[in-house]
Parts: sequence; structure tokens; C-alpha cells
Amino acid sequence: MKEHEIVDDLNLAYLEEARGKKAQGKDVPAEAGEDFKLIGQPTARIDGRLIVTGRAKFTNDLTLMNMLHAKILRSPFASAEIVSMDLSQAQNLPGVKAVIKLKEGRVKYEGEQVAAVAAISEKTAEEALQLIKVDYKILPHVVRPEKAVEEGAPQIHDSANVEKFNEYSRGDVDKGFAEAEVVLERTYKTAVEIHQTAETHASIAKLDEDRLTVWDSTQAAFSVRDGLARTLGIPTSKVRVIKTYMGGGFGSKLGLNEHTVVAARLAKETGRPVKIVLNRRENSLCVGNRPSTSITIKGGAKKDGTLVCLSMKNYTCGGVGRGDRCSEPLIDIYKCPNVKVEEYTVYTNTGASRPTRAPGHVQGTFALEGFLDELADELGLDPLELRRKNYSSANQGETGIPYSSKGLNKCYELGAAKIGWERRNKKPGEGGGKIRRGLGVASQIWWGAGVPGTLADIKIHRDGSVEVICGTQDIGCGTRTYIATIAAETLGLKPEDIAVKIGDTVYPWAPSSGGSQTTPSVAPAVRDAALKAAERLKQLVSTTLNIPASRIVLAGKKLFDKENPDVSVTFQDAAKELRREAVFHGERSDLPAGFAYNSFGAHFAEVEVDTETGQIRVAKVVAVHDVGRVINRLTAESQVVGGITQGVSTALFEERLIDDNTGQMVNPNLQGYKISTSMDIPEIVPIFVDLIDPRINNLGTKGLGEPPRIPISAAVANAVYNAIGIHLREIPMTPDKVLKALQGKEANS
Amino acid sequence: MKNFKIAEPKSIEQVSGLLSKGGEKVSLMAGGTDMLSEIKEGVAEPDLVVDLSAMKELPFIRKNRDGMHIGAMTTLADLASDPAIRSDYPGLYEAALSVGTPQLRNVGTVGGNLCQRPRCWYYRDAKFLCRKKGGSQCFATRGRNKYHAIFGGGICHIVYPSDLAPMLIALDAKVVVVAPGGEKVLPLSEFYTLPSKNVRRENILNPNEFLREIRIPPPKKGERSTYMKLKERGTWDFALVSAAVKATAGGNSFNDVKIVLGGVAPIPWRLEKVEQGVMKKKLSESMIKETAGAALQEARPMEENRYKVALVEALLVRSLLSIA
Repeated sequence: MKEHEIVDDLNLAYLEEARGKKAQGKDVPAEAGEDFKLIGQPTARIDGRLIVTGRAKFTNDLTLMNMLHAKILRSPFASAEIVSMDLSQAQNLPGVKAVIKLKEGRVKYEGEQVAAVAAISEKTAEEALQLIKVDYKILPHVVRPEKAVEEGAPQIHDSANVEKFNEYSRGDVDKGFAEAEVVLERTYKTAVEIHQTAETHASIAKLDEDRLTVWDSTQAAFSVRDGLARTLGIPTSKVRVIKTYMGGGFGSKLGLNEHTVVAARLAKETGRPVKIVLNRRENSLCVGNRPSTSITIKGGAKKDGTLVCLSMKNYTCGGVGRGDRCSEPLIDIYKCPNVKVEEYTVYTNTGASRPTRAPGHVQGTFALEGFLDELADELGLDPLELRRKNYSSANQGETGIPYSSKGLNKCYELGAAKIGWERRNKKPGEGGGKIRRGLGVASQIWWGAGVPGTLADIKIHRDGSVEVICGTQDIGCGTRTYIATIAAETLGLKPEDIAVKIGDTVYPWAPSSGGSQTTPSVAPAVRDAALKAAERLKQLVSTTLNIPASRIVLAGKKLFDKENPDVSVTFQDAAKELRREAVFHGERSDLPAGFAYNSFGAHFAEVEVDTETGQIRVAKVVAVHDVGRVINRLTAESQVVGGITQGVSTALFEERLIDDNTGQMVNPNLQGYKISTSMDIPEIVPIFVDLIDPRINNLGTKGLGEPPRIPISAAVANAVYNAIGIHLREIPMTPDKVLKALQGKEANS
Repeated sequence: MKNFKIAEPKSIEQVSGLLSKGGEKVSLMAGGTDMLSEIKEGVAEPDLVVDLSAMKELPFIRKNRDGMHIGAMTTLADLASDPAIRSDYPGLYEAALSVGTPQLRNVGTVGGNLCQRPRCWYYRDAKFLCRKKGGSQCFATRGRNKYHAIFGGGICHIVYPSDLAPMLIALDAKVVVVAPGGEKVLPLSEFYTLPSKNVRRENILNPNEFLREIRIPPPKKGERSTYMKLKERGTWDFALVSAAVKATAGGNSFNDVKIVLGGVAPIPWRLEKVEQGVMKKKLSESMIKETAGAALQEARPMEENRYKVALVEALLVRSLLSIA
């Protein structure tokens, strides 16, 4: 193991150095944190009680005076021409206040919006939809990417159905293949996954004079605000977006949605507030999905496992949308001098893809990590050893800039020990019996450095009460709680002493909550504001107590002399010294150039495969992550559990199914579209390596939203491979596919 | 969803009266777990919903000399927690416990489970006007048919999803049907009908009739039973394939055995050939596989449901050996 320990030590050395500096009283970018009492500990959600008792208000819980309800009529056809549309009957239905056309000409997927109604009740709006008469001329459609690439297939857009959208190359792959002693080529496929949020999309739009206020179930209040201003042609300064509580987004609420614009248009048309709530069917058809992929990897290695070349071709299908770029993990994570990537999108008559928790990385990791396991078997190597052999300390496969910190080796070490990696089948499928056990591993890389310029304010009132104000949104991950924790830690208070005000574009700017960037953006900004507040209070108290400010510590709701703790004033009294309500502005600082900022992780999965029924049971997952400093260990672990639950679900069950003949989805509901239940969730062991990044931000923390979702499906598929000796190369791994693969193996042997 | 009226009868006579009124479309609601989803999806559009939850005389489990009597409105949770059911008919206990989730079993009833509508995503979605809903085609034949029937399909490839029905048929249960002229008692095995007979419905009930009670004969000496259900996920899933087996042991073989499958056909599907093949013989995995193989020649899988054949074979081996 020693020979591979490269960058992990960077952090350890840094910590030693930081501790030394701290002792000398010097300022350091990220504190070693040994003094922290709250940060890094498990802290229960400050809003947990509100949420579980149903008192937290979600968008759908809000009712405004005179509010109308909107519904959208959607195309039942995958491809059709709207010949004519008659709104008159709907308009004449009592209770209907407005009916608007949303589409003319061609509709390109089932669920595309055609018209909308605002009425005094949901029921009236629904009835009105039935009265809109649309005359469609049905056109030929294609919903399967394999068919869409064929000559003569119905064309989706003005361009061809297949379009190259990304290419990358370094070194010389041909030379690499010539040097390689073992060459392998494999194709991996992933199905279309739907964002199944517990709370479906909902928006309320209200127009006062020329000012628009929108309540939206969104991951991106500021981006919705900007999008509405642009789309409706009104100044950004006249749009306000408010986000209350939220039941999941996973990317489907990352930005402005069409139905939100519809609500705003209807509010303008009627002069009344308009609410729109999408149903599960709409959620399945028209607010995005994770695009399918078919990724072929050809790679070459020396007999000792040294990777010499990797080439990848991705055909991704995002319906009428673009699909995902999936090559980042392959380009970046392992040391490899020669790499070539080509990525193509395939258009079909289905709803557009959208970012879905770690877009591209999930599919790209499934392919890359599956390939590595098959290559390891070909080379007769331990799959984990193959990964360590090609460990890199700089990005772009060791050809780019160094990682600011990388704890992946530590992840491997801790994970392998915890799962008992030595228990794996040394040769895939070598275990006997009807029920086969197997272990699998997969690595993960993601971004999640956060966005410089994120703002947060701390307001201290004269009575000593404290508010943190930031425009960010809590999309269910516990943002409110860590904001309170960081402010409390810095000011010597308790999390419940802090009033957290978020989810409103009138508050200081924060980025969208996607890409694992909320914590590494918001946490440092709050910390910055809190440090400034603490500094100011120390200055004031220093005069009162007649001791240097540097000797003053904030803890236990007091400011005291660390050399003589009895010399103290209460936080409340110190706040009085501010003389008026005081606001401290915090900002997330720039990222030092010259380094790559990434999070890392490794998942180890243990599975049981019933070779007679094709059923797979994931028994245990050990998930080890390097996310820099953990801010709240409880919600961080929840994040890992959530990511694994989703990943196990897509590995085993989830797939959007479309009828080729009609072009219509057959499972736009939670009956036919299966997600994992509590009975399917394995024993999950989350572990954090707790390596604090030396320069990423003032807390040394990286984002965790996506990382636990990335390697899990690959780790499960690799464990199945280890169990039965066949890599299915396709998710979901449903019993029909497992049995087919096993029968194929039997036929071949 | 269409508006409907609701009635809450208190007696059998009132129910019969409501069903015999004629003129309007009437739906009986037991637990409602299945019917309400049909109404919400616009697949069922009744004018009148007759809610049976106020019928005090319909939930009961009584053990008499002639066997077990179970009222149609008995919840699945009550059935699964009845000690006599568990000791006399272990397979029925297993079947009841395998339905849905605890929440669904607390609400779902025995009668509702036996009279639920079939599973097929084309049938269950109002946008597909399939043969079962008065259209002219079965979309599953050339469409997405992973969960569809491998036996008895033909013009319509629905599967009957009840977990209780296969087990109760294996146990020789009878049903009591209330009809305008009085009561009818018939074997549950004659209750279900194939699409080839009437594609619009799944059982023999006329619109003015309803199921009141289930009767199971007392267990014979040496009788055992089991219900095994293969699902894709751990819970809240209909059977990909299920097997209900009842057998009477004699020495080291079965004197008498009954095998009924769920999830493979539009009705609970009895495998008489396998029953004949394994009866009075020493059971072994290879012998069961061989017998099953011959019977499974009759399966007519489509593009995406061929794997069900292998599942049937695996289940037959496991269920028969588990009670041998």
C-alpha cells in the first residue's frame, strides 16, 4: 500500500503545518479545527420537528387570497402536428378565468405543453382541459435510440438525429494501443431514470402592479428569478422568488420550469394569483430525466496493470434534449497518458433530459468502473489493486494540475478493511451454489468546490439575538441547520439561538443548489460573516474588559479572557455594545489558482444473487468519502444514505419504459416505475476520511450532494460480476436480464 | 376523475337493492385500494360507488366444523394475524402477508383482493384504448410485455395479481355469491374466467351480484401448504410469478397435491400436469424440473416475459420441496 500513498499525505502535512502556525497565532486559510465544538459533530436538524409534524409549509401548502388553479393540457402523442385548437368551450365553462395556447405547429414528445387553463378550482381547471379541442395530425415517431440512428428514421429536430457534442484527446491512443499488452473493448448501457421527487413541482405566481412574486419548489431561486425576468421581458429588480420547504429536486428543479412561466402568464392574464402543481404523470413525462447512455470503452494496459490508453464513445439519448457528457471520470481520475473521447447525442420523441444528481458521472462511472473490473479479471489482478496502480495526484490522468487534496487512497484503505475485501471471489463467479455472494468496488470523482462570491449576512440585534440571512435554498439536505451551526460555533452560541432566513431572492445572493455546491459556497460565506461579527464583538469587549482582543474567546454564550475565564461578559451584554442593529457581510472567497478541486470516494458493495430467479439483494454498502471537512456529521451521513438508496434503486429497478408502437410511456407512475422500498435498502456504513482541504475555502469543506450517488450503481454491478462471473453491463439489473445473462453463460460453457 | 355518488349500505339487502337499480354504473368498494386508483386514473368511471365499509356483518373469521368461513370485508391484516388461519392453512397466512405493504393490508380486504381488477399497464392507463376497455387491440402483444401473461393470454395478456386467489383455489375454497334470486355457492376455481370468454371482465359475477364469503374445507390429516411469491423488489410489488401449493403427505411422497400459479395468466393458473407428474412419487429437484419442463411447453411467452418460465420452474422446485 505504501507505494501508492501520494497526495493524501499532502493534507496530513498541511494539518501539521496549520497546527504549528496556529500555535504561533498566524492566520491560516482553513483552520485545523481541533477547537470546534459543533462543526463536525452530528447536529439534529433545527427544522426537523416542523417537517415531521407537517407544520413546515411547502409550496403546495400555500394559499393566497383570490388564488386560481392552473392545469396544463399536454400532447398525448410523441409526434404530431397541431392542425387546429379550439379554446372556446373551455373558456365558456363557468369558473374558468383564462385559457391560453402554449403551442402551435409540431409537438415532439408525449407530455409537451399545448394549452393551459386557470380556474377557480383544480377540478374546474381539469374539466376545462377536457373541453379544449385539439385536432392533431399524427406524425411518425421514434422513441428508441437504437432506431433513431437508423437511416430513414423520423427526424426530431432540423439537424440529424445523431450529433457529436464533445470530443477530447490527449497523447496518442494509437500509439498506446500498440504499446498495450492487453486490450479490451466493452459496451455499457444505462436506462432513462426519472427524478422521483417526493414533492412534485409546484409554483404560485402573483403580480402586484408590475412586480412579480413567485413561490416555487426550486433548487435555484435566483436562476428562476433571472429566467422569469428574461422570458417575460421584465427587469430582474421587479421579480422576487421565494422558496419555502422542499421535498427533493435532484436536478429537475434546477432552474426555471415551463409551468412556472405558465403560472406567471396566467397571473398576468387574470390579475389574480395562480397556483400550479404538477402530478406524478407530468413529473414522469416533462420535467426532465437522466438520459440513457450506451458507452463503449476500449482500453489497453501493460500486464502489470499500468493503463496506457483509454478510448470512449458515448451515445447518450436525452429525448428532444441533449443528453449527458459522461467522459469526465474517464478523462480525469486514473493515471493514463493516452485518451480519446467522442460523445454523441441521439434525439428521440421523448421528453428532454435534464441534470440528474451527478449528471454524466453516474453513467460514465458505471461504464468506466465496470470496464476496470473486467480489465482486472483479464489481467488476473485484484480490481482494487488495479485502481491503486493507476492512482493519480494531478487531474487529467496526471497530465493536468495537482489536486488541492485527494483522500481516495484513504477511502480505499478504510473501505476495504470495513467490508472485508479479502472475502471477495478471487476469480469472478468462482463461488458455488444457487445463491452467489460477491463484492465490488467503484471509485468516484466529482467537483463541488463551491462558488466564489456567495454572500451571507449576520445580523446581531441589540437584545443579542442573531440572524443569518442568505438567499440560498434548503432542498432537503439540512442547509438551515449547518448555517445555524457555523454561526453558533463562531459566536459561542447554540444552533437554536440562531434564526436562519433563507430561500428568498431579496436576501444576499447564493448559487443554485446543484452540483454539490451549496455547502462549499454558503458555509464559508456564513463563517466569514460570523468571524467578522466575532472580531467586532471582541474589539468592543476588549475595551470594556481592558484586555487585548486576541485573548478573547466566544463560547458558552459569553466572551471571556482565555487566560482568565472569570473575566467575561455575556454575549447579550456584548451585543448591547454594538449600540444598534449591526449587519456583518460575509463572502465566499476566490479559489486559489493552480489546483484542481475535487471530491473523491469509494463504495464497496456486497450482494447476493439468486441464480435461479435472477433476484439481486444488496446486503451491505461501505461508502467512504473525501469531502474535506464534514460540517454536520448527521446530515452528511443522511446524504450518503440517500445517495446509496437512489443508486441501489437505479441499479436494480428504475427504468422509464416507452411503448415503441404508440410512443407513449407505459410507467408514468410509481406502480410501474419501481423505486427501492425500505426493504431493499442495504446496511449502509458511511465513513468520512476527514482530510481538510488546505485551500478550498475557510472551512476546508467540499460538497457532498452528488458524490454518494456516483459510484454505487457501478459498485453493485461489479459485486454482481464478482458473484456470478458475468458483468451485466447494463442497469437496471432486473431478474429478466440476470437470468438471460446466466442462460447465455450456460449456453457458452 | 369523474364525479360520483356514494352510498353506504348497512345490510346485504341494501347492497342487493343498490346493485339491482339499473341505469347507472355501480362499483362496489371494499377497501378501495385498487378501485380508487382506477377512478383517479379515469379507467373506472362509476356513477355510484357503494362503500361496504359500514357492513358490520361482513368482516368475520369463523372456524366451524365444516371449515373456515371468512367474510368478504375481513382485512388482509386480520386474516394474516388470525391464529387458526396460521395453524390450519400456513400457505394462506403466507399469501395474506405477502400482499402489498402493512398500510395496504390494514385497508385491503379478502373480498377486494379476490375481485380486484387485473394488472396491465395498458389497461390501467386511460390513454390506451385496449381490447379490455372496448378497443380493438391488445397493446401488450407487440409492446412492452415484461410483466404480462405467459399462459391463457391470446386476445388479452393481463395477469391476475391476487395473492389470495391461487392459494384459496389450491385449498379448494368455495365462494358465496349473493344474487338477486338468493345465494350461490361455487368453487373459487370456477369463479374466474378467461378473456376468451369475456374480455371485459375477469370473473363470473353479474353486475347485480357480489361476493359475500369464502369457505375453506378443514385441513386433512397431513395437509400442508405454502405460498411463494417472487417480486422484483422487497415489498410493495405484485408477483412476477407466485406459486400456491397444497399437498397431503403420505410416507415420503404426496398422496394429493394442488398447484396454482399467480402472475402468469389472466386467471389463477392451475398446473394439473405437474400435479399428476409429482403425485405419489419421491420428490427431487431433477424430477420436479423434468415434470415442470413438460408442462411449461404450453407457455406462450412474448418478447419480454420469457424469463417468467424460468421463474415458474424455480418456484415449483422450491415450493414443493419446502413442504415435502
